[in-house]
Amino acid sequence: MKRPRLARIAAVAVAVALAASGCTGTEQESGPGTEGRIAYLDYGDFGGGSNPQANYNPYLDASRLGATEYVFEQLITYDNYGCQAKPWLATEWNWTDPRTLVWKLRSGVKWNDGKPFSADDVTFTFDMLKQHKALDTKGIWRYLSAVEATDPQTVTMRFTQPGAAAFTLFSEIKIVPKHVWSTVPDPVTFPNAEKPVGTGPFTVKAFNPQQLTLARNPDYWQADKVMVDELRFHKADGGGQIDQLKLSRGEYDTNAMFVPDIKKAYVDRDPEHNRYWYPSGGSISVYMNLTKAPFNDTAFRKALLPAFNRQEIVDKAQLGYVKPASQTGLVVPGQADWLPKDIPNQGVIAYDQAKADADLTAAGYPRNGDGKRVGKDGKPIQFSFRVPGSWTDWVQAQRIIVANLTALGFTVRAETPTPEAYENDRAIGNYDMLLGVHGGSCNMFRNFQEPLASDQSAPIGKKAVSNFVRWNDPRTDQLIDTLRTATDEAAQKAAVADLTKVMMEQVPMIPLWYGAKWFQYRTTKAVGWPNEENPYAAPSDNLLIITNLKPAGAGAK
Amino acid sequence: MAPVAYFVRRFLFFLGTLWAAVTLNFLIPRLQPGDPAEAIVSRLAGQSESIDPAQVQAIRVMLGTPDGNLFDQYVQYLGAVLHGDFGISYTYFPYSVTHMIGQALPWTVILVGVTQIISFVVGTLLGTWAAYRRNSRVDSVITLGSTFLGTLPFFWLALLLVYVFAITLRWFPERGGYGGGSSPGWNWLFISDAFQHSVLPAVALLITGPIGWIIGMRNNMVQSLGEDHTRLAVARGLPRRRVAITYGARIAILPNVTGFAIALGGILGGTVLVETVFNYPGMGRLLLESVSSRDYPLMQAIFLFTTIGVLVANFLADLLYGFLDPRVRKVESV
Repeated sequence: MKRPRLARIAAVAVAVALAASGCTGTEQESGPGTEGRIAYLDYGDFGGGSNPQANYNPYLDASRLGATEYVFEQLITYDNYGCQAKPWLATEWNWTDPRTLVWKLRSGVKWNDGKPFSADDVTFTFDMLKQHKALDTKGIWRYLSAVEATDPQTVTMRFTQPGAAAFTLFSEIKIVPKHVWSTVPDPVTFPNAEKPVGTGPFTVKAFNPQQLTLARNPDYWQADKVMVDELRFHKADGGGQIDQLKLSRGEYDTNAMFVPDIKKAYVDRDPEHNRYWYPSGGSISVYMNLTKAPFNDTAFRKALLPAFNRQEIVDKAQLGYVKPASQTGLVVPGQADWLPKDIPNQGVIAYDQAKADADLTAAGYPRNGDGKRVGKDGKPIQFSFRVPGSWTDWVQAQRIIVANLTALGFTVRAETPTPEAYENDRAIGNYDMLLGVHGGSCNMFRNFQEPLASDQSAPIGKKAVSNFVRWNDPRTDQLIDTLRTATDEAAQKAAVADLTKVMMEQVPMIPLWYGAKWFQYRTTKAVGWPNEENPYAAPSDNLLIITNLKPAGAGAK
Repeated sequence: MAPVAYFVRRFLFFLGTLWAAVTLNFLIPRLQPGDPAEAIVSRLAGQSESIDPAQVQAIRVMLGTPDGNLFDQYVQYLGAVLHGDFGISYTYFPYSVTHMIGQALPWTVILVGVTQIISFVVGTLLGTWAAYRRNSRVDSVITLGSTFLGTLPFFWLALLLVYVFAITLRWFPERGGYGGGSSPGWNWLFISDAFQHSVLPAVALLITGPIGWIIGMRNNMVQSLGEDHTRLAVARGLPRRRVAITYGARIAILPNVTGFAIALGGILGGTVLVETVFNYPGMGRLLLESVSSRDYPLMQAIFLFTTIGVLVANFLADLLYGFLDPRVRKVESV
């Protein structure tokens, strides 16, 4: 009989497969760093999709690799948590008039190929962005009219109109060397793949689609602050499950990903070293189509303010990782300095169903005999509330929001279209009520101009740029214009204060919660990561963080 | 009708289908909703951050807008395809689509190609064996066993393998085509590393791969063994084994040959599931990524390659059939 043979073949096959496995190879040798520095740190993903290609063109946002953040630098950096500008390649800046900004450049800065950095490189960079609109991803030439080198250490920028609103953009525009980029035939299709030349703290040491390795630049202008010899970035998979596993095993020194139940999955694995800090990002708000009744009635919108259970959304749909959002449109507590003092509880509105019920009735929207809320025409109010079906946390939030509204007697249809259909309908104004994201940046002009300025809107049926609710209010436009042109902080604060009042009193939209900036870190090798006690930077402020890290156990907290 | 006419007709049919496929491939992405520039920016920003309109505008300029009306675009597209120029990928800008496919293709061809061939050989042999000893215990084990395995969802099986062998036992790497420490090239470190990474995906494909061939082969052969000419051969006292191989298996294998050719053609499209579960750097994952990020040039090129692969394979199978099975030529000429 041949019967046992099949079993034998199977057994042999399995055995061969197992024997072939050997060890799975941890390729990285770990030696002590030189001069008391950290030998290397393991970082998470480095961008560039699932088959990353060597691309260190800092202006190709969609395909460049994360290395550009450490190889190239800007005139200033921003602490995007506290919204403070920090001198970087420029040591000083000065508005000589509202349309003229003069930069004093840092002396002694060298490109990593040894050539000196000068004002020519700055003017070359900005002129290149002017010539190639595809590279101007921050839209700086919406504001600039000319950039000139006054002397090798001084750059003068002229603006078409008062330019204060554009200032934060200089923290996002990387300066590239003229002696390299001027020889490139087309900078738009230049991947800059071979030894990218920058002024930054690191250079590219090795790259393959699985790992990107950066080496410390010993000639960096503040090399004494960089206490890490090597950064190793590791490709993550799309699903994130494996990456969460690697995070919990302690294979990353820092990462930025969503982890369900971070305490159990990460912190509890090594409570002494595994930490996380999730500061708030943009506001996620209920957008009402202001061209439709009853949403076009300010009293109606204002009555809805206490209708939403923000805390329940935060706890159930967002697992408690985020905070309820302030109605002012600002991110509190990070931007609390900008708030007018007379706003209670920093503008975070508590859930109070009875108050919403009474306010709605008082505003002329009573319940009928069946308990249904009726409109001014006497008919029950019915509308749809949409979120993209694949964004599961938003779908959870949708359930709570719809339940809150139904409890007030509204008839709400919960709809879950695809993200593309959702975004398209939101842009052309084909909706009743849905969720949108706005604000959260350090640029106060952008925070209010994008969602509220009438020039960012469009008629229903045409794509709006970013004012999707179609808020159209001359006073708001005027305040935004003041904010755009104000160069001194007092005037900026006055305009922001008035805009927060527009948000509170006229309710163009209803912020519910803040999106979180995910950030995990380990203190086994390095300390000095930003956190709640020491929020010197947002998790994405790479240059600030890398110049603040110290070896663990070196006495620094 | 002469056999030549059969081949000519097959060839014309092939050209017609190819033209239809290329045209559909041009039209379908243009009928999709959504703006690729917006898709790219919203992917960068993530769902909880606001989007800077300036960035959308810059990316729109970078990607360029198509010239002329739909017909002009179609003519341009046909010309470009004939020259093998598939444009620049949106997600991997400024790298070309050809560059991206060139990188992904070897992974898929080697992994899926090798496992397909092994699956076909093993499946056909097992199917033959089951039919040869039909209604015996061997037959029950093979048929029932493969039917059972066939009902298991493939991704579940693959995840189970990852869980047991990669995560719990840590014998094999969890994902990827190779580790971060080695770089692609003809060196031992990389080849052994790539081999280790390919074991789990290959096992997953080999568990489920032969099932179709087993069932198909067994059923075909049982049927052909029941036909008159086989009964005659048995009646004339030919050895049982010879009857099974030369009379049963030889006829029964014909449909499987077509199936195999088509399966080989389909390799180009990758195996999306296995490459996704194991995060394997092949065509399947490239396809999935290009679809989800609306990378139209890349998506179109992969679809086109897949379609051409299947069509060419079909055409070759037709030709092969013509040689292998005289009946086909006869029927066609009636």
